[in-house]
Amino acid sequence: MAVASLHQLTVKYGDFVALDDFTVDISEGCVGLLGPNGAGKTTLIKTLLGFLTPTAGSGSVLGTDLSDWRRIRQLVGYMPEQDCHIPGMSGVAFVAYAGELAGMPKEQALRRAHEVLEYCGLGEARYRNVETYSTGMRQRIKLAQAIVHGPKLLLLDEPTNGLDPAGRVEMLELVREVSHGKGLSVLVCSHLLPDIEKTCDEALVILRGKLREQGLIKNLKKVDGHPVEVELGEPSPEFETMIVQAGMPVIHRKLATYRLESPGSPQEALHRVLATAAKLDLSVRGFHVAERSLEEAFLEAIN
Amino acid sequence: MNSPIADLSYRNYDGPLSAPGFRWWVVAKTMMGMAIKKRGFWVWATMGAYWYFILLVMFYFMDTLTGGQINLMKQVIWPDQFVNAFSLAQIVLFSLALLIGIGSISNDRRANALLVYLGKPCSKADYLFGKWVGICLPISIVAAVPAVLFYFYCLMSYRTYGVIGQDMFLLPKILLASFVPGFFHASLCLGISSLFDQGRLAGGAYAGIYFISNLITKAIQVAYIISEHPHGRHSVGTPNPSLANAYYFAVDGIQIGLAKIIFQSDGGQLIVGSPKGGNGAIPIPSIGFILPVYFGICAAAIWIAYVRVRPVEVIS
Repeated sequence: MAVASLHQLTVKYGDFVALDDFTVDISEGCVGLLGPNGAGKTTLIKTLLGFLTPTAGSGSVLGTDLSDWRRIRQLVGYMPEQDCHIPGMSGVAFVAYAGELAGMPKEQALRRAHEVLEYCGLGEARYRNVETYSTGMRQRIKLAQAIVHGPKLLLLDEPTNGLDPAGRVEMLELVREVSHGKGLSVLVCSHLLPDIEKTCDEALVILRGKLREQGLIKNLKKVDGHPVEVELGEPSPEFETMIVQAGMPVIHRKLATYRLESPGSPQEALHRVLATAAKLDLSVRGFHVAERSLEEAFLEAIN
Repeated sequence: MNSPIADLSYRNYDGPLSAPGFRWWVVAKTMMGMAIKKRGFWVWATMGAYWYFILLVMFYFMDTLTGGQINLMKQVIWPDQFVNAFSLAQIVLFSLALLIGIGSISNDRRANALLVYLGKPCSKADYLFGKWVGICLPISIVAAVPAVLFYFYCLMSYRTYGVIGQDMFLLPKILLASFVPGFFHASLCLGISSLFDQGRLAGGAYAGIYFISNLITKAIQVAYIISEHPHGRHSVGTPNPSLANAYYFAVDGIQIGLAKIIFQSDGGQLIVGSPKGGNGAIPIPSIGFILPVYFGICAAAIWIAYVRVRPVEVIS
């Protein structure tokens, strides 16, 4: 089931077309939104929230039409890219206030604020003024205010912005945890492909306001022709010659790792590789179906 | 038994959520809550009643020390007392507006708080109206409470001296006049605050407008008094009526003008003594002049705020 569906949507800033005849179904789970700067990722998020009015097309979020933005914002949690807080408030007051703005009763909002702050790792700092928080803590409190009212869809705009490596790992773990098995779908917008790879199951690639690629990350990483990668104990020119004779041309070699074209199934390829290696008395350290990195897939999509 | 908070895993919230809409009250309530937590609020709120304390002391001594034919209490013009107290509280109410209201939007802009507000089911109108109420109500209450308490004290102690007799609608007039500064400061604070990204700059701009406009209009008042008595205290001149209207072209002047219209009094009697129209009091302005200016300024300020508050900055 799609958490958001957009049909031929066009969004403009004056004469500049930010989203151009954009059609997409965003499925449940954790979905990554990829694209170079100015591709339209943030515009897409802001359109889903009703901040921007499309000039053409239609769409819905969690079954609610885009025009009913109040209902959408109640069902959705939004973590903006920019650092944001309410001046003069402690962490717990800020998150409880966000809950109240979403429609929670005051007592429930306060109780829930304590819970989500603990969950986001800000339990100790919850009574401190948000203005005294470090960058990492501010990222966490943005996540806390976004999930306090129990949204069904979470929109995260660059959630790891400005975080150190440890903070980044922790934030990604939080995102991954809430998006798997908790009944909460997440749309993560990021430039950092490893972040998307770590947290998301599916990705959308946007370029110049158009959808260029969509699918499961594992499918996006697949290489045409199902080649396999074989890692030997040491480089062997004889192996290279014999495996070509066995019907598996070498696509490229890097030290002792060979990427080979596979004529049939991976099992069949494995048999041929093992047979060739046995003849030459070589050890096979690794064998797997070759795949490209997400970065390669992304670059191919945008080029 | 473990506290629920000991379970650090994420759990969904399945509790009640009110229907989206009317979030302005949440904004207003929080703003007022933050205002009353400031120590300065209570200091200024207390200072706002200073003229009523002076009146209390003066009336007590006038009532107990004078009597018979020269009982000074008989000369008191009650609406004048409220107009004067209202005028003298202006600087305090302005300070209060600076304290609780001027940073309301600029500080939110600095902290990108608009994304938090507008990312929830809270519209721009909810946000602005909530902020407006959050400034207007505290200022109005600070203006109303000492005036109402003073009115009831006088009603109980000096009823025979015309508290009701002079104007039986004095209490509703007091309540109405108390909303004049709240309404005006709240609107101006929102408009000016939305033009800046820092509360201090917005405060500086508002203070500049307040004091410069006051300086000019006070100079006009002096010119008016001189034109009233061109050759000393006992001479009588013909003051220029346009000078009188110019006095009201200030942040507090316009509010004083409206208060004079509400009380139908020029505030000429300071405590006791001079009759109505004395002491160089500026005459009551025309309602056709003050009301459009007052509401025009408020509407313009709110319009500026409405235009300036945006969830998405579009650079053309």
